[in-house]
Amino acid sequence: MASITDLIIILLYGTTLGGILALMTCGFTLIFGVSRILNFAHGAFFMLGAYFGLTAMSYLGLGTGPSVIVGMLAVGVLALILYYLTVSPVRHNESMAIIVTLALALIIENFIFLIFGEYGITYPSLLTGTLDVFNVTITYMRIIALVISLLSLILLSVFISKTRMGMEIVAASQDPEAAELIGIDTNKVLALTMFISAVLAGLGGVLYAQIYSANPLFILKTLIYAFAIVILGGLGSVKGSIISSFIIGYILTATIMFYGARWSEFVSLLIIIAILIVRPYGLFGVKE
Amino acid sequence: MKLNIYELLKKQLKLETYVFIAILVIMAVIPPFIPSALIYLLGLTFLFIILATSWDLTTGYTGQLNLGHTVFVGIGAYTAALLQVPERLAGTPLEFIASMPKIPIWIDMLIGGILAGIFGLVIGIITLRLKGWYFALVTAILPLVFVEITLVFREVLGGEEGFSIGFENALAPTTIEKYYLSLILMAISVIILQIIINSKLGLRFMAIRDDIDLAESIGIDTTIYKVISFAISSFFAGVAGAAIVHYRLIACPDLFDIPLMLLIILSVVIGGQGTLIGPVIGAIIVYLLKHWWLKALVPMLTYLYIPINDDIILYMILIILAILFPEGIWMKLKDLYKSVIVTKIVAKRT
Repeated sequence: MASITDLIIILLYGTTLGGILALMTCGFTLIFGVSRILNFAHGAFFMLGAYFGLTAMSYLGLGTGPSVIVGMLAVGVLALILYYLTVSPVRHNESMAIIVTLALALIIENFIFLIFGEYGITYPSLLTGTLDVFNVTITYMRIIALVISLLSLILLSVFISKTRMGMEIVAASQDPEAAELIGIDTNKVLALTMFISAVLAGLGGVLYAQIYSANPLFILKTLIYAFAIVILGGLGSVKGSIISSFIIGYILTATIMFYGARWSEFVSLLIIIAILIVRPYGLFGVKE
Repeated sequence: MKLNIYELLKKQLKLETYVFIAILVIMAVIPPFIPSALIYLLGLTFLFIILATSWDLTTGYTGQLNLGHTVFVGIGAYTAALLQVPERLAGTPLEFIASMPKIPIWIDMLIGGILAGIFGLVIGIITLRLKGWYFALVTAILPLVFVEITLVFREVLGGEEGFSIGFENALAPTTIEKYYLSLILMAISVIILQIIINSKLGLRFMAIRDDIDLAESIGIDTTIYKVISFAISSFFAGVAGAAIVHYRLIACPDLFDIPLMLLIILSVVIGGQGTLIGPVIGAIIVYLLKHWWLKALVPMLTYLYIPINDDIILYMILIILAILFPEGIWMKLKDLYKSVIVTKIVAKRT
């Protein structure tokens, strides 16, 4: 039976995990909204944040703080380059776009395997030390990770609702053709969305690596969680992805605590199947 | 002029048959002239052709992007393997299979195919009634989940290394016999797929691919036909998976995994989606590229300190082809052939 302590652990750890997952999936959802492209390379952007940050620390001699920023910006720049080189030419062909992003993810995974090896690498934490909450030990790193993710999500929502570029993104995702008619360059909007999404995913990856570790295997594994989240939240709904990130965060934490990490993929699949049977458009999706 | 176009179409139809027969004849006569390692590799290539062509049925002809074809390969493979080595099932609810008489190889391949088909049916019913994105998302994560399952049930499924089924359960005792058996299996599968595509069923599949709303409006129940297409394709994947296990005598998680999926996609993209003969040619090129030609190239590149492996090269080829020739080489060759014939006809007239 779950004791009160267990519940507190699930609540605390699940919230921090949920915050990081939200950073990753809201970008995935934004890209889908603007272009109807399922970006299978998103898990790769997530993990690359950590590996770029680690490289910046060891080769440029940066501290942990600056390395986080360098890591996430490097992912954004790489995503922009990859977008113009590979995704943009096929973006009107939905299945080719998926195939291309999946191939990109596997190329990045293989490069990380070759350069960094197949084992997980730990990332030095921004903050060390722990805090006791109702007899549950939680590291400061988890708390700061949650604060950073929540701040980034708030910044994102301000950007989307208050700035012109953000509103262009919303316009393009609501109706791409109408958006083009009123003079919005949807290709540029998609490039910008790619950049923002990759930066957010990269930030999520750096934070994740500081709490757990960086491992090339997560490139595909995080995709499972991301898909469970976007299907639960409703494909294309940013609000839905953020809320369901926390729900999935709690479920995953509970699964890992009671049954072990090896069951987390299986549980994600069951969640997806259950939602598709009961409520295919998710919690916040629009019924089509 | 109308008659000429009709003749042109007839010739093209024949062209595909001729090319396929030519491939079969060449493959049937070359074994005495090539080393036995290559014979072994080509035999596996034939089974890989079944994977590529059956994937083409759902993705190329019905227009539904299936990213989990390898799951059905793996289901067929592990089913066949466990039926031959039922001792591994000890301690599970399926223990009773061990006490039953031994099942012939051909029957267990059929059972593997049927189980894969049923699983395809279930996944199809859940996901194919929704928009195509859901199908792609769910099929994409199935391989990851199934690889994890082989690791979790390590005692039965053998973990990362898989398990061997023993020499006595081989498709045939010698390599050359295995080669011809898999050639025959490939020929039968491709012919059945071609018959399906030429039938009314195939026409409905293509109607769904070309314009799903139009297909719906003329009374085609698109969900049912998408599910049928997916189940047929899964059945062939399961049979081929079982045949691969009997060919190489080992059931291993690589049959479930995404790299094999990408090889299948690459074969069909090289050959051209929705052409059937294209994927046959593409599969031969890709399988030999991966297991023979790149085996020599990659050590040279790593010797020069270039961090690269065969998979990276294949995936880069895939991206380049997807951008430059999304319709595949078969269509390119056919266009060339068409223009040659048209110039001939024009030359005759003048």
